[in-house]
Amino acid sequence: MDDWISMPLVGFPLVASIVLLAFVSNTNESMRRRLANPIRMATLVFSLVLLTITTGMFFQYFGNVSWEGISFNNYEFLHRYTWMESLGIHWSVGMDALSFPMVWLTTFLLPVTIIATWNEKNGATYFPILLAMGGALIGVFVSLDLFMFYVFWELTLIPMFFLILMWGGADRKYASQKFFIYTFTASVVMLLGLITLYFFQDPVNPLDYAGSMTGRTFDIPTITQHALMENSNGNWYLGANIQKVLFAMLMLGFLVKLPAVPFHTWLPDAHVQAPTGGSMLLAGVMLKMGAYGMFRLPISLFPHALQYFQLALLIIGMVSLVWGAIVCLGQTNLKKMVAYSSVSHMGVILVGIATMQPMGWAAALFMMFAHGIISPMLFAVCGAFKHHYHSMEIGAMRGMAKHSPWLATSMMFAWMASLGLPLLAGFVAEIMMFIALWHFLAAEGWSVFWMVGPALVLAVTAAYYLWSMQRTIFEGGDETQPPSSLHGEPVPDIANPEKLAMLILAFFTIVFGVMPWIALDMMHDWTIQIFEGLILPVLGNFNGGA
Amino acid sequence: MSKTTTIEPFTAGFVEALSPELILFAGMLLLILVPNLGKGTFRIPGTQTRIPWLLGGTRFKFSSDPRLPAWIASITLGSAFLNVLYVFSQGLDRVLIVSESGKELLLINGFSRIFELIFFGALALAAFSSMNRLQVKGIGSKIPEHELYNNRRQADFYILMVTCALGMSVVALAQDLFVLFIGLELASFSTYVLVAFLKESKVGVESGMKYFIVGSVASGVGLYGLSMLYLWAGSLQFSVLAATFAVSGTTALPLIGIGFVLVGFGFKVSAAPFHFAAPDAYAGAMSPVAGVLATASKAMGMIGLVRMLLIVAAPESSDGSAVWLVCLGAMAAVTMTWGNLAALGSDNPKRMLAYSSVAHAGYMLAALTAVGAWNWDAAVAGDASAAAVAVMTALLFHLVVLVAFKLGAFLVLSILESEGGASRLSSLGGLAKREPLLAVAMFIFMISLAGVPPMAGFLSKLLVIMGIVRVAVGDMGAEISDGGIYALGDMHWVWWLALLMVINSAISVFYYLRVVVVMFFNEPEEGREGPLPRGWQVRVAILACVLTTVLVGVAGDSLIRLCEMAAQSLNYNW
Repeated sequence: MDDWISMPLVGFPLVASIVLLAFVSNTNESMRRRLANPIRMATLVFSLVLLTITTGMFFQYFGNVSWEGISFNNYEFLHRYTWMESLGIHWSVGMDALSFPMVWLTTFLLPVTIIATWNEKNGATYFPILLAMGGALIGVFVSLDLFMFYVFWELTLIPMFFLILMWGGADRKYASQKFFIYTFTASVVMLLGLITLYFFQDPVNPLDYAGSMTGRTFDIPTITQHALMENSNGNWYLGANIQKVLFAMLMLGFLVKLPAVPFHTWLPDAHVQAPTGGSMLLAGVMLKMGAYGMFRLPISLFPHALQYFQLALLIIGMVSLVWGAIVCLGQTNLKKMVAYSSVSHMGVILVGIATMQPMGWAAALFMMFAHGIISPMLFAVCGAFKHHYHSMEIGAMRGMAKHSPWLATSMMFAWMASLGLPLLAGFVAEIMMFIALWHFLAAEGWSVFWMVGPALVLAVTAAYYLWSMQRTIFEGGDETQPPSSLHGEPVPDIANPEKLAMLILAFFTIVFGVMPWIALDMMHDWTIQIFEGLILPVLGNFNGGA
Repeated sequence: MSKTTTIEPFTAGFVEALSPELILFAGMLLLILVPNLGKGTFRIPGTQTRIPWLLGGTRFKFSSDPRLPAWIASITLGSAFLNVLYVFSQGLDRVLIVSESGKELLLINGFSRIFELIFFGALALAAFSSMNRLQVKGIGSKIPEHELYNNRRQADFYILMVTCALGMSVVALAQDLFVLFIGLELASFSTYVLVAFLKESKVGVESGMKYFIVGSVASGVGLYGLSMLYLWAGSLQFSVLAATFAVSGTTALPLIGIGFVLVGFGFKVSAAPFHFAAPDAYAGAMSPVAGVLATASKAMGMIGLVRMLLIVAAPESSDGSAVWLVCLGAMAAVTMTWGNLAALGSDNPKRMLAYSSVAHAGYMLAALTAVGAWNWDAAVAGDASAAAVAVMTALLFHLVVLVAFKLGAFLVLSILESEGGASRLSSLGGLAKREPLLAVAMFIFMISLAGVPPMAGFLSKLLVIMGIVRVAVGDMGAEISDGGIYALGDMHWVWWLALLMVINSAISVFYYLRVVVVMFFNEPEEGREGPLPRGWQVRVAILACVLTTVLVGVAGDSLIRLCEMAAQSLNYNW
């Protein structure tokens, strides 16, 4: 087998979930209840197959691909099939060191999510939808065609919409619609940007893979190659004005997905109402689609515009970072607090990008990865909390350390990982971002006061996490009664599948904290490659660029 | 490129050229005759001999079957549809039918054929799916199913459907404004009666009345414009009008005439501000009929607009700054925005779909504006006319796939309607529990209408936006490669229509998602918890719509090519 991506990683989960759903929707209620267990097992096995494939790819067992040393705009496992010839649309898949960690992360989170939400109601439909979500997410990361990218980009909305609508909390109707409309609005503006970009290609000298009807192509490697050529000629690809406009249009779609302040308001609603599994995938992978898209399209195509908008991005990133953390302080809802902490962490990514330092970009990439392991654990803890105490309020449960040691331990671990405890994965990304920012400020001669924001955030993050831990885990216990929402039932601890999921996530948080180079090496290599292949040839030896 | 064959009526080649229409005509005769077959006899005067002549009297068992007219109509429309498809697969002949004095009457080419596909497809689906739901006593009656069929009005209903198809295909073929108007009125009058067909229900009669009055006024205004054009050019032939327009250019008389004619067609496509009757008509008509209004009838109006603006008035727009272009652009902007905003506030799913159809009319008008922004004439440089073809392709593609998901949505509503009304959003409640596959089908139609990939609606919207952007950008890309410097403002202003379109499709997600939420989230209404009314025909039709929506969305290349061929054949100098 040559093409390891199209059918095994993208087609298989999508087709399998559609077949399962079609099968299930033809059965009655009692049959569905009996089917829940076999279907859960089947989806677990399917997702483990996916994980095996991507892990095999990492260990060079499948395809024998080294993830280091892939030069800019080159892709491994590249395959291209004609899809809609008249418009220049191809089914075109491939991975580089930017997308591979995300693909692995998706396949890793899928089985973990299934295990963590083992007893979700209506399992016969829930688990296939999770599988479809995984397939669509992988599709986003492996697409190397603008059309295909957009199709999968929007396709991820549908399973997530149903996850929130069918399995969410009390206000799920509002949250699911807000989630869909908000992100869809940004995406259609991005779509118009993509189409405008498409038609600004030169039809007189058509690029490779051009459509017969239009003379233009949707092929990302071809466009990137062409843009690189034009950009390094000393002028701006497509001219300064148009490049800036297109950069802004594309960035809008990605900033909303990330999300960055002020486009973040859909996220807390979606997270609070989403079921645990939905939240885990949403925070774990779906938010990273935004950061991934930034690297893949606007940054690769329009480095001039990136430099032009550098200050704006830095400000947006800083504001997200600080605002997210400050808002966390005011939350009484556990899940909402975690959601805002995601906004804050996504700010780290944006600041990392805005520094335009290799280390800053590597920090952004590693943050995408590390947050993709830590935040599912945060939401798994929140989900378990909600499941066992029937409440999301921070004050609802006290003295957890006494009543539910497993949950208390997991919560403490996840909280510590998220606030950036050294030797855990989150710390690596944050410290790299600080160094890159510091280096950037020093090289550019900017005021050192820019560092106040991130430094403040460290304190604030520690404050809200420690405060919430103190209120839920340690305070009370013997003296305080179990919460009234339990109606006098004994205080339970988390179930075995949940324990397993927590252990897996904690294990990998430690692994990537102690040995970050497992993933960081290829990310670092990718940033070196993009700087050597794109940024330096195009922008020259700008301040701090080296 | 094939040459044009010119033939006179009823000479060699006439039957082959007009075979779909003749099939319809034969079907119409069958619809009149077959349900009346019986044991009727004829007594020769003065004798006692009775000769059986089979008309009237006690009906035979097969001819009294209430489903018979529906079957005849479906088979007629279906075979006309297949006939057109077969013609396409055989490669098209371009046939011009002229009168003895040399007047061009009908032109058969790819453009008219693809519209026939739309008309016959939509009407065949509507006829087939209304087979087991036509009611005797109006909406809400609790009459058992077998009694519903025992109704002699069945035949009338389907005869009207077939005449509607016939009128529409005349519009598609017409090369003379007068012939076009005759076809338009034939189709319109059929639809007026179809809308008011449920005479027992107040809402049906009222909406039919409204639709009829507004429609007649629009037709009257259109006819007045027609007379002005005749006064100016001395002929109503498209070729003569176009030639006269090319010579005389912008003078007041033809512009006013064209403006008046546009009112007539604007009503048909339900463009703002002529759309006021549409929501009432859709809400009052039976759902399959409303589906026909929203798809086939709209395509018919679009033909009129295309013919008038692009063939007759095109030379005027060579620099993209014509008067009518600005008017049309403004109309497109108002129509799409108004439709979407009005749909936001409507609780009746059929009204909601009506307003969404107004919004879609706005998208199509935007595409039409973009076509006009370049000289349609082939004399202009290569890429310009290619861009115009691309927009036209998008327009045709949109009209074709609209049949699948817009009509499909109406068909889903029609099942609920035959259960006892679909005039409130809550009547869709709990559909996911009552019949999951139907809810999934409706979900697919809704997201396709909203333009979410990978459905056909996304591809059509993408094509329209691509066409508009292509026209707006032109070959700036080549100029930039040669060192030209451009800014956003250098693009043609139709680009802003594309921006308005994407913003509007974001707005439209609000009301489409609301339907989905009600289906999957809310509980069924009281008294509607049980299974839905049976009837395999309507479900087969819905399945066909779902398959088309999904398959075209995933692999629409061949349909795009078909539409491209049709769009190319529109060019007058082909």
